[in-house]
Amino acid sequence: MIAKHADKVASPAVLKQEFDKLGYVCSDSIATAVYLACQLQKPILVEGPPGVGKTELAKMTAEYLGAPLIRMQCYEGLDEAKALYEWKYGKQLLYTQVLKDQLGDVMRGARGLDESIERLQSFGDIFYSDDFLEPRPLLQALRQEDGAILLIDEIDKSDQEIEAFLLELLSDYQVSIPEIGTIKAKSKPIVFLTSNNTRELGDALKRRCLHLYIPFPESSLENDIIAKKVPEVSDNLRKQLVDFVHELRQMALKKVPAISETIDWARALLLLNVETLDPQWVKDTLNLLLKYQDDVEIVEPEVRKILAAIDK
Amino acid sequence: MQKLFSDFVYTLRQQGLPVSPAETLDALRVAELLGFSDRAILREGLGLALAKTTDHKLVYDHYFDQFFRFAETTETLASDSSESDEDQLKDFEESELQQLSSDTDALADEGSTSEQDAIDDLSSLSQMLLSDDSAAMAIAIATAGSEQNVQQMQIFTQKPLFTYRIMNSMGNEQLNQELLELDESSELGDRQLALSLRRGQARLLDQVKDYVEQQYLLFAEAKGTQLRESTLQSVKLTNVDFHYVKHMSQLVQKAARKLASLHSRRRKIRKRGMLDVRKTIAANAAYDGVMFHTRWRSTKVDRPKIVAICDVSGSVSRVARFLLLFLYSLQDVLPRTRSFVFSSDMAEVSALFKEQEVEAAIGDIMAKWANQSTSYAKALEDFETQTLADIDSKTTVIMLGDARNNNADGRADIWQKVYQRAGRVLWLNPESSNSWDTGDSIMADYRPFCSSLHSCNSLRDLERILGNLLKHS
Repeated sequence: MIAKHADKVASPAVLKQEFDKLGYVCSDSIATAVYLACQLQKPILVEGPPGVGKTELAKMTAEYLGAPLIRMQCYEGLDEAKALYEWKYGKQLLYTQVLKDQLGDVMRGARGLDESIERLQSFGDIFYSDDFLEPRPLLQALRQEDGAILLIDEIDKSDQEIEAFLLELLSDYQVSIPEIGTIKAKSKPIVFLTSNNTRELGDALKRRCLHLYIPFPESSLENDIIAKKVPEVSDNLRKQLVDFVHELRQMALKKVPAISETIDWARALLLLNVETLDPQWVKDTLNLLLKYQDDVEIVEPEVRKILAAIDK
Repeated sequence: MQKLFSDFVYTLRQQGLPVSPAETLDALRVAELLGFSDRAILREGLGLALAKTTDHKLVYDHYFDQFFRFAETTETLASDSSESDEDQLKDFEESELQQLSSDTDALADEGSTSEQDAIDDLSSLSQMLLSDDSAAMAIAIATAGSEQNVQQMQIFTQKPLFTYRIMNSMGNEQLNQELLELDESSELGDRQLALSLRRGQARLLDQVKDYVEQQYLLFAEAKGTQLRESTLQSVKLTNVDFHYVKHMSQLVQKAARKLASLHSRRRKIRKRGMLDVRKTIAANAAYDGVMFHTRWRSTKVDRPKIVAICDVSGSVSRVARFLLLFLYSLQDVLPRTRSFVFSSDMAEVSALFKEQEVEAAIGDIMAKWANQSTSYAKALEDFETQTLADIDSKTTVIMLGDARNNNADGRADIWQKVYQRAGRVLWLNPESSNSWDTGDSIMADYRPFCSSLHSCNSLRDLERILGNLLKHS
């Protein structure tokens, strides 16, 4: 997969520039991480607070490289059958029922159990062949001819068993299916794992990955991002709202607003034809930024103060 | 190159980053790919491969700067000083020339050629000093440093020793010899040479000192921390100096976090054990009774329910802080923990622990309940009315206390009731088992009603007992 796109991932600078064109403004560390992941063919473990664009990064890479994005959302109770493969039980059952008569024909004339078994065995494992295999995201990613972007989303939400099970996939890009054998990737996929840090991931998993931490962006970077995503917003308003959000992030809130909330807010203000931030508008639209009533109650009385502070 | 890298990785390991050999190899490949031209990019890239948590990233950033600062600073220093030196040298030369204005030009020419000869005769160190090649100098210092095993440095008093050794290993003695010879010579060129060599020597000494200082910070400081940590873990809680309380609380929390990541999730054992016939038949009814899906009897291993009681009275005042610290961490690890403290009256502090930071919570408790005279009887009576009804066979009760009851009746009958209701009763006594039942200690009264008794007076004990508790509940 990389050989095909060698020129597209020639250096971190190229990646940064091209992502920028696609509307994803990224920092040096993000560009370096994607570059290294492509070149070293190692998975990236992306961590950071919700809403800083972890999933978006994988989507953008897929779009940029023109590769299919295969996504596996993790949750508690996710198991091999849903992550890797499953036998099509229904189909197996149906076929055995339909083929009952045929089986009778085949077996006719066989003398004794030994001969019957021998004849049955000569058919091989029909019911456990590729035709009856239902590939799930991981297997799909390995089977893509031209490689794929595999996004394993919120790995921290899954059980520890899944984490251990992923180790083989992540280091050797292969999985073992007992009935069929080992399946190797036709073309190594680029793997993104994201985590919100609800639990500490195992060392073995971390060791196999490059570890990228995406923090909340600096003001200037966030400014660029808003300019890219909501270009219609005036420079003045954009600067104001980015500063405002940065002030909010300094406060002790249950959930501080992330980039995605800033973008939503910018869109909303645009829709409402707001020219400059004034306390009334901010109070009316605060629920776009803050997702807890407690937070809203903390911030509301402070709005005037914050606005005065950012105007200085 | 590889040596430099392995030194860097060694430094990171000293700081507690678990860098594996595989990750070191990754980092090498990263460095090959990214090249060394762009420091910022290289720093990001190596960080991706070597530091795998946000805490580690901070440590990494700090030590990357420290480790690779040396080359940079010496370069700038050298370029600054060499310029000024040249200026000074020129001034000096001019003044000398003015003084010697009566001499002919021919003589001056002769002087400069003899100077050239003199330089060629000098040792390699002197030549290096004169050539002002800062990169070569830095490399020479680093080589001498590794020859002298500067990484073995343990304590700060060794710094002058290593500085001296490195200077000597670079040929300082020979340089001194040469300087003596040059001083004795009466030629102008030689005297100039000696002057610039002296300057170079002083500059070199500064650089070597810097280097040794930096190496000390990189390698030895962490050794001190490690030593302190391992000592603190095994020292008796009663003997820990107040000065170390802060370090101690960090250690307790570290231990608690470790245990939390190991045990904080529920375990379910499935896909093995006994076949659950009833469930299997139900699950396969749709397939005409053909057994496609098997169902197994599963065992759920749940997080334990814990009631922890901590004695904070005068007799245990020295260890009370640590016991509370431990209690606080316990509640962090196991959310279903209820915590109580008492001297004579018992009070539940679970809510307090949840709401406040560790320092504040412990401060509050010590101010409100601690250092009064002990009455186990009163405390247990309170406990009986408040909590006994909530204790069931899944509960583990932990008592942290020394059972010193001022020669009064201990109401062991209540403890017996607790023992009968609870799944398990643990008693952790901060005194060593030799001093149980001496003086006013009534450990023997409670002993029959405890599933297990431990003497618990070091951090290591705490960690071990807590680990076992989580494993077997």
